[in-house]
Amino acid sequence: MNSQPKPNCLLAWMSLVLTALLWGGCSDSSKTAGDAAKSDAAPRAYTIGMSQCNLGEPWRVQMNEDIKNAAAKHSNLKVIFKDAQNDTLKQRAHVEEFVSSKVDLLIISPKEAQPLTEPVARAMEAGIPVIVLDRRLLGDKYTCFIGADNKKIGKAAGEWIVKTLGGQGNIVELMGLQTSTPGQDRHSGFLEGIAGSNLKIIFSADMKWLEPDARKEMESALSRFDKIDLVYAHNDPGAHGAYLAAKAAGRTGIKFVGIDALPQEGVAYVSQGILDATFQYPTGGAEAIETALKVLHGETVPKEIVLGTRLFDKANVAQGGQELN
Amino acid sequence: MNESSPIQTRNRFVQFGSSPAGRAFLALLLMLLVGTLFNADGAFFKIGTHRDALRQASVYGILACGSTLVIITAGIDLAVGSVLALVAVCCSMMAIHWGWSGWLVVPVCLLVGCASGGLAGVVTARLRVQPFIATLALMVLARGAAKYASGGMKVSTAVKNASGGYDYVDVPALFRLVDTRILGGNLSVVTVIFLICLALAWLALSKHSWGRHLYAIGGNEEAARLSGVPVVWAKTLAYVASGMLSAVAGICQAAQEQQGDPEAGVGYELMAIAMVVIGGTSLMGGRGGMGLTLLGVLTIGYLDKILSINAVPEAGRLMLTGIIIVTAVLTQQRKRT
Amino acid sequence: MTAARPIPPSATPPLVRLTGITKRFGPVTVLHNVQLEIAPGEVHVLAGENGAGKSTLIKILAGIHTDFEGRIEYGGREARPRSPLEAGALGVAVIHQELSLIGPMSVADNIFLGRMPTRNGFVCDARQHEEARHWVRQLGLELDVRRPVEHFPIAVQQLIEIAKALSQNARVLVMDEPTSALNATEVETLFGLIRSLKARGCGIVYITHKMEEIGRIADRITVLRDGEWVGTAPAQDLSSARFIQWMVGRELGQQFPRRAPQPGAERLRLENVSVYPEGIAARPAAANISLAVRAGEILGIGGLQGSGASQLLLGLFGAYGRATRGRVLLDGQVMEFTTPRAAINAGLVLLTNDRKATGLVLSLSIIANATLAGLRELTRAGWRNPTAERAAAERTTGQVKLRAASLDLEVGALSGGNQQKVAIAKWLQTRPKVLLLDEPTRGIDVGAKREIYQLMDEWTAQGMAIVLITSEMPELITLSDRIVVMHRGELTATFTRAQATPETILAAAMGHTTASTITKAS
Repeated sequence: MNSQPKPNCLLAWMSLVLTALLWGGCSDSSKTAGDAAKSDAAPRAYTIGMSQCNLGEPWRVQMNEDIKNAAAKHSNLKVIFKDAQNDTLKQRAHVEEFVSSKVDLLIISPKEAQPLTEPVARAMEAGIPVIVLDRRLLGDKYTCFIGADNKKIGKAAGEWIVKTLGGQGNIVELMGLQTSTPGQDRHSGFLEGIAGSNLKIIFSADMKWLEPDARKEMESALSRFDKIDLVYAHNDPGAHGAYLAAKAAGRTGIKFVGIDALPQEGVAYVSQGILDATFQYPTGGAEAIETALKVLHGETVPKEIVLGTRLFDKANVAQGGQELN
Repeated sequence: MNESSPIQTRNRFVQFGSSPAGRAFLALLLMLLVGTLFNADGAFFKIGTHRDALRQASVYGILACGSTLVIITAGIDLAVGSVLALVAVCCSMMAIHWGWSGWLVVPVCLLVGCASGGLAGVVTARLRVQPFIATLALMVLARGAAKYASGGMKVSTAVKNASGGYDYVDVPALFRLVDTRILGGNLSVVTVIFLICLALAWLALSKHSWGRHLYAIGGNEEAARLSGVPVVWAKTLAYVASGMLSAVAGICQAAQEQQGDPEAGVGYELMAIAMVVIGGTSLMGGRGGMGLTLLGVLTIGYLDKILSINAVPEAGRLMLTGIIIVTAVLTQQRKRT
Repeated sequence: MTAARPIPPSATPPLVRLTGITKRFGPVTVLHNVQLEIAPGEVHVLAGENGAGKSTLIKILAGIHTDFEGRIEYGGREARPRSPLEAGALGVAVIHQELSLIGPMSVADNIFLGRMPTRNGFVCDARQHEEARHWVRQLGLELDVRRPVEHFPIAVQQLIEIAKALSQNARVLVMDEPTSALNATEVETLFGLIRSLKARGCGIVYITHKMEEIGRIADRITVLRDGEWVGTAPAQDLSSARFIQWMVGRELGQQFPRRAPQPGAERLRLENVSVYPEGIAARPAAANISLAVRAGEILGIGGLQGSGASQLLLGLFGAYGRATRGRVLLDGQVMEFTTPRAAINAGLVLLTNDRKATGLVLSLSIIANATLAGLRELTRAGWRNPTAERAAAERTTGQVKLRAASLDLEVGALSGGNQQKVAIAKWLQTRPKVLLLDEPTRGIDVGAKREIYQLMDEWTAQGMAIVLITSEMPELITLSDRIVVMHRGELTATFTRAQATPETILAAAMGHTTASTITKAS
């Protein structure tokens, strides 16, 4: 082969280093769960495979965290985590690896429905029960789906806003992405929630789920409108960015509402008085382990579990929020 | 025969209009004109809008300064966005979690940036790997390092305590200082930082022999080497400078977000390159300058702002931005006389 | 200005006749009422100093410039080609100075570029190869047409370019300085080819700066000066004095300065120097070279292409890093240059043989180029001083008699001769002790050449030592005080000026080492 050796060599090095780093991260997390299992010789040890589509988002990091914490409470559970890094084919390979290593149960948070439906069906055929988290698959070849309903959450946010503002006021909506399903659902649910009130959406823009972009869009809204009563952002970083923009502009009397309520983001912002409310988009991690145990013990579980949301506002944040259903 | 006489006989205005600076200036004027036409109920005429437009463009602008230095050598730096994220994470950990003073945080951050840039510089200049590949590798590496250091989570003022809950700490003074305004609230400090970076980079590029060396390397590396220009050293320094400016941008980003986001700065390198190229600096190297980059930064910054105040939906924004970048670069590429 | 005289009629009707050609770029007239005709079977030399308008005229003929005044007749019928493709269809092909072949593509692909034989939109490789082989054989070449063009030496590439022109059925071939990159044997091959093209009835427009070539192959000569037609004459009727007068508009006394060298102390001495551009393990480009140059002396190095002389100078200059072995003494001090910078600082500089590729930064101004090598002494703590730079550039470009409207012009906009002067000015700025010149007059006009010869004479008078590589025999023999000859990396002969004749030098350059001519420097 007559190729240039240097770049290839370098890339090889880089990928080696990266693999090492990632592997370090993975083995770390499985070890804690595994050690717990060993330390306490329990009735029957189970190995659970967890295929995460992407650990680039804090919310998904939290999902893994929740699974890990829930599993740590059961000494007979060992969870192996795999991160597909937002690559569908990689996730498919991970599922196949789990099947061939004969895990007792598979939890998957799929990146996409179509390409992952078949590998999951094959896992089922191989006798491995599958719990699907957050995003759905096609058909019904899985054991149980656990997920939250963005529309419901958007509606809850809308209703809370109507109540808080007394049914009147100017609202800025910072949307995640108009072209994404969560963004569309959080938007349409919200519209449903405020239907019939006198609330007006005076400005709405995409902030691509990103804080700097939310701040940018909020600055535009601030320069256009002198009276803004509330900002409804499709995620907490968005609401936080809007808050920073308003604060920098010296504008007061604006309320900020976000969604997701991750402990270190939304909930923290509410406790710090930055946001007025945030609505949890639950990861379902704890529920997944709970359901997994039921499945492994031979109990029947519902085909679909829709998670409720929790409201965190200034009044209840210290008590851990309030369950909404 | 005298090759220069057509230029001499033309009047100055036309001459300026056909120079890269003139075209970039024209593009900016056109952009401002678009702003006055689509002024979003007068929002474009408010001073705050311009302050915000400048603030938003500042982080990109700081990156663009570094990219200009590298692009003049006919290189490219794809790592600026990732280095920004790495520094934002490091900066937030030091300033928020460890409570270090700004006097310590800033130098350490700059050092991190210089080290990253130095790595890219040595690999390209010394080991002669193509800059595209070398900085692509650094882009991935720095992003990985940012995620590793932060554990994949944003490093914010919510600090995890021993019991698994969260303690809330104050936003550090450094962040407050950077994310504030002066001149009666009419100028953001990040914009001042950008202008200082621009001025320093301009001084280095236009007034220092190093800058001349960068132009010579970009114009004809072999001729420069055979003229005694310290090619490896000058080129490495360009990447170091780009890394250091990325670090400055990273500090500004962290201060404005009040946290270190390992996912920050995705795609910023392309924005910075677009600003440099729209200004009229050639990707082939050897031609261009900091003044041109300022014009490019302002043009894209205002484009962004105008689209934002008019609440143009994302899909439309992407298409419009693409069209305008191509148009601007096409006018820049018109044959020079 | 000479009044336009009618062209002496040629025996056969011309292939192409251009009359009253005027071309303006904006307000500047670059060609004014120029005429040219090319008869079948003749070599028509188009001569003139750089910037005289030769290239513009060729570009009009080739359909590159389309807005001009005047008349072009192809085979007696008026036509105005609007593109090189149309000119090609009219039978005109241009072989440019910078070859227009695409290096990584095969010979066959290059020959049929843009008009490959296709079937249903797919290239018929077999047919294309066969036809390409046919055209290449016409030129007496035997080569694999599937190999990439860049694998062949420049001389062969040029022949491939000619094959391409022939395959397009060209009747008129324009050759723009075709020998500038060829060695002596390759030039002979080319001239042989030109003779056979003449015999087939092709007309050839030949642009060159080399007097020797004009004398050998020209049938008729047309001279342009400052965009005006000066005259056309059969070659045998045009004395060389008159020819030079036509070119420069004045009588040139002597092309070469009469040198009266007064060699001083030894400036540069090489003892068993070998240069390994491909690495120490590979064959050296120059092996065990020993020679010495004194202050005030010009040492010429003769040799054909591949002699290793250029690599020797590059290695000496530190351009190959640590790839040089042996002892180098500068003013009696043992030196080891591993970077050009070190050599420059010590007072040893090299004018490379390709100003565009390795000599100048074309995108920078004259000032920036002229001060590039000596920038450090014009700065304080690295900070530049534009006034000092301008003054320095004015001084050095003044010394080389650079003619430019402004020193802020980009070097790329200058003519070849002026570019070379800028490259030389760059080295003057560093006040060198030893000047290594590799083809200092390549591709520049007679007037500029003469000025450079004068300068070399002046510099040596001031105590500089010069090592000169040149492929032009008259230059080598007249300018050099001593001549060494290299063949395939080794020194084969040393001559004094009195001993040297073109024959003895050529013999040594081709590897004949006869005892009488060898006096190895020790």
